[in-house]
Amino acid sequence: MKKVSFTAIVLSLFLLTSFTVTQDKLVSKSTHISFYSHTSVEDIVANNYKVVSTLETTTGNIVYSVPMQSFEFEKSLMQKHYNSKKFLDTKTYPKAKFIGTITNLESIDFTKDGSYNATVTGKLTIKDQTNPINEKAIITVTGGKVSLDTKMNLTLSDYGVVFSDGKPSENIAKELEVTVKAVYGN
Amino acid sequence: MNKKTKKRILYVFLIGIVIAVSIVYYLFNMPQRDVQSTETDFTLSADQIVEAYLTDATLANNTYLQEDGDSKVMAITGEIFSINTDLNNQKVIRLKSSTSKAGVSCTFTQSTNASVDGLKIGDIITVKGVIRSGAGYDEDLEMYEDVIIEKCDLINNKNK
Repeated sequence: MKKVSFTAIVLSLFLLTSFTVTQDKLVSKSTHISFYSHTSVEDIVANNYKVVSTLETTTGNIVYSVPMQSFEFEKSLMQKHYNSKKFLDTKTYPKAKFIGTITNLESIDFTKDGSYNATVTGKLTIKDQTNPINEKAIITVTGGKVSLDTKMNLTLSDYGVVFSDGKPSENIAKELEVTVKAVYGN
Repeated sequence: MNKKTKKRILYVFLIGIVIAVSIVYYLFNMPQRDVQSTETDFTLSADQIVEAYLTDATLANNTYLQEDGDSKVMAITGEIFSINTDLNNQKVIRLKSSTSKAGVSCTFTQSTNASVDGLKIGDIITVKGVIRSGAGYDEDLEMYEDVIIEKCDLINNKNK
């Protein structure tokens, strides 16, 4: 019996260690993603503070996992439209994901305070549709703390969100401006 | 049709238009649902909801998420693992037992933040909020993600 429990402890320790995230992988749960849609009829803003991101400083790999129902709108009806089957269908696709890499890793020193221009290429998956993304981002290192800021434009029809007629086609822009901020801890 | 009848029809018609416009206006500007005054749909422990997601995420999403985004209102009991503040200055309490792979991330609001005052790691609390997404192992992040509930408040005092 004693031997069994000892084996169990050793085994679980081994399992725990193998699952431990390595030191060079920074995790962020302090994030803010917002999108902005502008038309002559109305401006729509939605904010999401619940995104989880990782940044691997040795490889430049970046991942963002976005809980889609966490986008908060000013008006209830906008939020209902956004979540509905016709638009983002967040019940079926509760998360969006970005997987990318910093391609100019050599020009960023994660150990030295400063502001660095990064180029990021990757793939964004929303509603099961994946498209390439090439964007510039700013990586800031302050007192050892790394943060990332970027802005990009997304075309809704690339992700299967198309409105041909009715109110949404007039009130929602075809292209959204998306602002991303993540503050990484260890 | 005499003049009186015509006038009456006109009035009815006008009243109808006013009502229709007010309904559209009301729907258009309807404020967000107040989660705290909404009845709780499910009362579970942090481990139970995490386990439900780790066992069958599709089934759990079908049970807890709503198509219009007004998903189920949960009352979750668990042990405080950490207390943080997000970029919107909202308090975030992570409920997680030592044996569980993932926890429940509970985000308070600027008006309920004060409920977190005095709470400490290890306290057992019950938090009410709306579920936004489930727990699971993400192979790209290479880590477990928590169940996310938002617009939270405490629904009973800590009883250690």
